[in-house]
Amino acid sequence: MAESALELAERALGHTSGDAQATVTHERSLLSRFARSRPTQATQVDDTSVSILRVHDGHTGSADTNDLSDEGLRNVAARADAGARAAAAAAGGRGEYPDLPQPGPPRAHHGYDAATAALDPAVAGEALRVAFAACAERGLEAFGVWTAGDVETAIATSAGVRVRDEVTDAYMKVIARDDRGRSGWGSDAAVAAGAIDPAAIAARAVGKVWTEEPTDLPPGRYRVVLEPEAVGELLDFLGYLAFNGLVHAEGRGALVGRLGQRVAAPSISLSDSPRFPRTLPRAFDLEGVPKAPLPLIQDGVAHRVVHDTRSAARAGGGARTTGHATAPGGAGLGPHPTNLVLIGGGAVDEAELAAPIERGLYVTRFWYVNIVHEKQTLLTGMTRDGTFLIEDGRITRPVRDVRFTDSVLRILEATEALTATPRLVTEADFYGRRFATGVVCPALRAHDFRITGATVAA
Amino acid sequence: MGKAEGRCAYAEARHVESREEALSVRAGEVDDFNTTEAEGIGVRVRVGGGWGFAATRDVSAAGAEAALAAALAIAEAQPAGPATPLTPVAPASGHWSSPHEVDPFDVSLEDKLGLLFAAEAAMRADGGDARIVRSLATLRAWRERKAFASTEGAACTQELVASGAGIGAWASDGTELQVRSYPLAHGGLFAAAGWEHVLALDLTAHAPRVAAEAIELLTAPECPEGVTTIVLDGEQLALQIHESVGHALELDRILLGEASYAGTSWVGADDIGTARFGSEHMTITADATQPGLLGSFGWDDEGVPAGRYALVEAGLLRATLSNRESAAAIGLDRSGGCARADGFARQPIVRMTNVSIEPGGAGSLEDLIADTDEGVYLETNKSWSIDDRRLQFQFGTEIGREIRGGQLGRLYRNASYAGIGPRFWGSLDAVCGPEEWRAWGLTNCGKGEPGQVMSVSHGAAPARFRDVQVGVA
Repeated sequence: MAESALELAERALGHTSGDAQATVTHERSLLSRFARSRPTQATQVDDTSVSILRVHDGHTGSADTNDLSDEGLRNVAARADAGARAAAAAAGGRGEYPDLPQPGPPRAHHGYDAATAALDPAVAGEALRVAFAACAERGLEAFGVWTAGDVETAIATSAGVRVRDEVTDAYMKVIARDDRGRSGWGSDAAVAAGAIDPAAIAARAVGKVWTEEPTDLPPGRYRVVLEPEAVGELLDFLGYLAFNGLVHAEGRGALVGRLGQRVAAPSISLSDSPRFPRTLPRAFDLEGVPKAPLPLIQDGVAHRVVHDTRSAARAGGGARTTGHATAPGGAGLGPHPTNLVLIGGGAVDEAELAAPIERGLYVTRFWYVNIVHEKQTLLTGMTRDGTFLIEDGRITRPVRDVRFTDSVLRILEATEALTATPRLVTEADFYGRRFATGVVCPALRAHDFRITGATVAA
Repeated sequence: MGKAEGRCAYAEARHVESREEALSVRAGEVDDFNTTEAEGIGVRVRVGGGWGFAATRDVSAAGAEAALAAALAIAEAQPAGPATPLTPVAPASGHWSSPHEVDPFDVSLEDKLGLLFAAEAAMRADGGDARIVRSLATLRAWRERKAFASTEGAACTQELVASGAGIGAWASDGTELQVRSYPLAHGGLFAAAGWEHVLALDLTAHAPRVAAEAIELLTAPECPEGVTTIVLDGEQLALQIHESVGHALELDRILLGEASYAGTSWVGADDIGTARFGSEHMTITADATQPGLLGSFGWDDEGVPAGRYALVEAGLLRATLSNRESAAAIGLDRSGGCARADGFARQPIVRMTNVSIEPGGAGSLEDLIADTDEGVYLETNKSWSIDDRRLQFQFGTEIGREIRGGQLGRLYRNASYAGIGPRFWGSLDAVCGPEEWRAWGLTNCGKGEPGQVMSVSHGAAPARFRDVQVGVA
């Protein structure tokens, strides 16, 4: 009988001494990519890695391998041990890392679907055919991906943690494009591949390709409607800039001195909710700490930041991990809320959001967003694949893609209304080991959205 | 590869064994210590016009055969596409390795930590300034051994050793936050070199200045908004080349193959040989043969030998970055040798080799500043963003300095500039000489689905651009 992930974690832990954590990650994934209505790349990955975290006198060392032999596990344990001991020797005193977290009961979730875990390439093939056909009907070409993954995680620690979790995720995006380069976007993500509707995604993408020549929008401040894709990207950045307990503890965070204060419009209630409907759930974080809901902004008032063991130790004052470690021992960049949920408002749809706008901007999604100023939550990025002008309450014509430079917290403060039904949105770019995350959020309308530039016709 | 014969039009396999070590020190403690070792096989097959790729950690013969079967299965499950050609290539054979004097994995942990502790402590010298809220010294080294074989008879091996280090100081007065780094941001300066490269950076000597400039930035005036002359330091120019030239000239993007993620390009395939990219001062080469640079290799990950060629000559577009499939698609008889893959679990896609601007005749940076009446000098990248056709960009730098009367003046914080790629490059009117030219190794270039991170170096010297929008952020 094949060794389970938890048995492998226990075997790895057996090669350690002292305080240690063994983490096993087994990824199986499939990704089919397409361009110009033709399949271009199809990738299947099957890999298992073992990570050892060694804690010695408050100092940590970690090592990873995908050599699962006893020799490989001995070697990885020795490397982690050497690192922790060298760190302790170099510092010459006890380090800030506290004891490993104690066991806690992981809670059940809805994050696994057996049919998705089968990773049937025929499902991917059929999804591509549907997208190609939908685009061809309008004389457009289809670009995008269909992907599904099954990731099993098991953790065994010297503190007695023994946990195992298995999650699936599926995602499809379609960019419909005409021969003049005008493009439209559709996407969806879910725990189950069966919940992904390629025809509906392709139809959304096709519907955003307008035949009119795009108009130019000069720099300035505009009322804006942001679709969930755009909102989700801003919120994910906010997770790092404002709610990262390490950044906060070091005085670099946007909410330093502002917890308990109003930082957004009263309609903004943001939480990290690992079992919220439509999210991509997880039972525990990468220190084995059970995931639990955490309010971050309630009715516009900032409440909390998230922690892993490392950031909580640095924060001091009795701070404890909130179950947001993204690496064993806590990531160097700090903890991150991976299940952000922005509660919806009262608008039926984006059209209702646009209705009161005399002249404004409609954004489907952003592209190449990056941080300009951390503490100000100031970002810059471009719009892409569906940017439109709103005139007299209606979307009237496409706009050539524009650059925004604005603060996420300012946008949330300037939020006027939200749609009622949040959607799960995700980048799904999967650098390194597959770790599917997403933001569940509605579309929103805000005022004074700052445009600082625009692209040009080539 | 024998098992693939007769089952597909083409197949290749890469066995990759990698080792990486990352260390960082913050506030007198090790902040991060991680070593990663990974080994696996990636098998790519071509069935009709489609590709299939499967990766596994099982490096046994049975594991490789299973990966081959999986690659064939997913290729065959896709909608059929037209069979397209690949450019021919002589089967790769032999071994290549990157040069280094001291293997970073032969250096003791104590020595590595000693260097980082000294550099980090030097940013907090004399008890430190309480406004320095974070000081970090980082070091990373990696080694990758690859074996490549194909059904066309290729069989070659390669080994790359790389390393780099850097320091950064973050200062805050409670409301403002500023950062200063050396030699560059984003984790340090990397090269295809050994421990000697890390020592040559001399982090500790630069640490007090880095901390002092971070503090000074807290009270510096904002970079004023307007249109003016800018002088970019070599590191910022390297990123400018990367984002607005290198990516724009990737042939897969030009042919719309990356439209689903990284985007397309304002450059068309018909522009090669005819279009003007920039001024006569702009000559850009792609060179995978330069020792010590991160985009160098013996063969790319399709077994195409490394080469050097001009992408832009005196402002005119001459060539693009290509792999076997994209080169054949526009009728070229040879690949540009730019197929690169991130580890064993990703398939090769078009990536930059070392894309560099050739040095000019403007002498030293001091000479260039002296030749500039008015403008802003911009140093060390802090923020970067560009549209999906690689046209409209906006960059921020850690510092700006006023240029007035041929001299550097006061410090500016939150400096930024923006432009449209070919217009911006058209405004280039001076590039410093060979004495200022150096390679800037970057390790965070993302592209592809699933995502791939690639390392590449860009040779650059400080350069001057006229009539640029600044202070936009």
